[in-house]
Amino acid sequence: MTDPVTRRTFIGTSAAAAAAFAFPSGIFAQGSDVIRVGLVGCGGRGTGAARDCLTSSAGVELVAMGDLMPDRLAQSREQLAKAASESPDFASKYKVTDDRCFTGFDAYQKVLATDIHMVVLATPPGFRPAHLTAAIAAGKHVFAEKPVAVDPAGIRTVLAAYEAARQKGLGVGVGTQRRHEAQYLETIKRIHDGAIGHVVSGQVFWNQGGLWSHEQAAGWSDAEWQIRNWLYFTWLSGDHIVEQHVHNLDVANWVIDAHPIRAVGVGGRQNRTAPRFGHIYDHFAIDYEYPNGVRVVSMCRQIEGTRSRIGENFIGTKGRANAANQIFGETPWRYQAAARPVSPYVQEHTDLIASIRAGRPINELKQVAESTLTAILGREAAYTGQELTWDEVLNADQVLAPPEVGFMSMKVPAVPMPGRTKLNRKWDDA
Amino acid sequence: MRPWTFPPLPVCGLVACLAGAAVVRSEQASAAPYHESIAGTLVGFEMVPVPAGSVVMDEAGGSRTVSVGAFFIGRMEVTWDLFDVFMLRLDTQSASSAADAVARPSEPYGAPDRGWGHAGYPAMSVTRGGAEMFCGWLSARTGRIYRLPTEAEWRRAADLASGGVPLSGATRDALAWHQGNASGTSHPVGRRKADALGLFDLFGNVAEWVTTGDGPAVARGGAYTDALGEAGPKGRAVQDSTWNQTDPQLPKSRWWLSDGPFVGFRLVSTGTGDPVPAVTTKEGSTP
Repeated sequence: MTDPVTRRTFIGTSAAAAAAFAFPSGIFAQGSDVIRVGLVGCGGRGTGAARDCLTSSAGVELVAMGDLMPDRLAQSREQLAKAASESPDFASKYKVTDDRCFTGFDAYQKVLATDIHMVVLATPPGFRPAHLTAAIAAGKHVFAEKPVAVDPAGIRTVLAAYEAARQKGLGVGVGTQRRHEAQYLETIKRIHDGAIGHVVSGQVFWNQGGLWSHEQAAGWSDAEWQIRNWLYFTWLSGDHIVEQHVHNLDVANWVIDAHPIRAVGVGGRQNRTAPRFGHIYDHFAIDYEYPNGVRVVSMCRQIEGTRSRIGENFIGTKGRANAANQIFGETPWRYQAAARPVSPYVQEHTDLIASIRAGRPINELKQVAESTLTAILGREAAYTGQELTWDEVLNADQVLAPPEVGFMSMKVPAVPMPGRTKLNRKWDDA
Repeated sequence: MRPWTFPPLPVCGLVACLAGAAVVRSEQASAAPYHESIAGTLVGFEMVPVPAGSVVMDEAGGSRTVSVGAFFIGRMEVTWDLFDVFMLRLDTQSASSAADAVARPSEPYGAPDRGWGHAGYPAMSVTRGGAEMFCGWLSARTGRIYRLPTEAEWRRAADLASGGVPLSGATRDALAWHQGNASGTSHPVGRRKADALGLFDLFGNVAEWVTTGDGPAVARGGAYTDALGEAGPKGRAVQDSTWNQTDPQLPKSRWWLSDGPFVGFRLVSTGTGDPVPAVTTKEGSTP
């Protein structure tokens, strides 16, 4: 850093940070010092995450924004300005100026080069490992959306970033908001305290209809279309089992307090055959084996007009529970909701910022990297049609993104074919 | 800004004529229930006549008597079966038809039906604006004006549904799904007792959107989430920020309430009971 060493830049430098965190009453204590935040990835969720961050805590300001696309940045600023016009408190926290707005593939580097203390990372997930690495190298606290990677190479990068953040004493919150939702916390605490005995199996679901999609518009390069339509390309979203169902798989890992050791699965693309749906699947069903013979069946589907089911169920030696609010069996119990519960999307920022101010920053990167790899393990079991182990997927030679990404010509990757698709593959392999 | 407007439709002139005729004809004593079906699908619904009359509307600091013209009201709450025709374009015929010009709902990231199913269940978690867009589509699709009831119209129906007497708790329990008997979910329409007007689920099950001019978004009648005391003519909920609190996007959805699985809607029409050719019907429609 070229800035003079102030309290704020001091906190962001690695060697000094560890010392600073030994004295929790110092930096950022009691909201007495402003935390400046930057936003990278200004879509609907990124804009919402910025709103949630500013809403969550006193003394937090949004000062910089970056997005690949100028139109998305402009729409985001318009929405945040509207929120500011409706709330004096929000207006006092929304301090983005033109000279701190950046576009292009290097926008995240420019945001990180400003004097922010914390960055919200909310681009399509394929970019997350690089952005996390850069943010932590720059000494910034992070709030990152889930999932945190889309392939094994990305997971290894994120695990290294986790370690670097830990050594620097940086906080990293990740958007698995169930981990900050009172009803999940209460229920899973009871499960961990033995309310259903030993957990022996579980079933987790995210079955719903379809999601938004975009046809390739005139003037969009192939790469621009794929990025704007990112849900449907595995190098960007990880497929829907990774992008969406990771929430429920994260709950399974949380309840069982472990990650799976192997998986078999099926999946396919029954309904999503039009070009605008890229090459991802529309349904998966996976059997996960955890340590001690614990099994979890996972099912996810995105097909219009089909029966929806989103949630988790766990069977123990003394009863069963959903993870969200109810226990059945020897010690039945039901969560009583507060009259006006706090949104978990706000609570996750409250908890992260409070932990930074307390000098004991939370770091959720490893647990969400494991949940993301759980989803990747299931995806690869279905894509390849093979039984795969955690270790072979973690260490696989699989990189789904092109070596360099620009607004370029790019074919749609092949639809994975069980029995033919290999675990070890590059982005342009069939 | 009026985000819920949709492009002018060629059907509007015809619909306006029908509406004008309806004012006269629906006041005739002979008004009878009629059945509406959606051409090219197996979906239909029944509308029940409500005679003109007056209602006493509670207001801050007192009450006000309002005259209400005759209208028809849905015997049931709008079900997913009907809403899905709109949402999933199950009626798609040609790109040029008036109904196809109406915007369709965005795809929700999640399950607005909470996983309870669609067959026979009331559509829920739909914003009031989304319900109004549905009514616009249905009007274009059928050639008859459908819309949400005004609050006075809903109240008029509720008065007749109550048979002109205050409803006992036992009666409301027989009519309504409420917190005490619903086991925490909505239920397929028409499973509780019919009220004195012949409607089902006007009280309880899902609360029902009404229009209030420029006023707040209001849902009447109480829901399966409400105590028995709210599941009746007096049940009245005003939308607040908790109804879409956990929508993680900005802007929040115009179509879906992330935290509103207790609100749905019922149709009214000031059309006649006579069958009207559906202006958008074409041969070879897709079910």
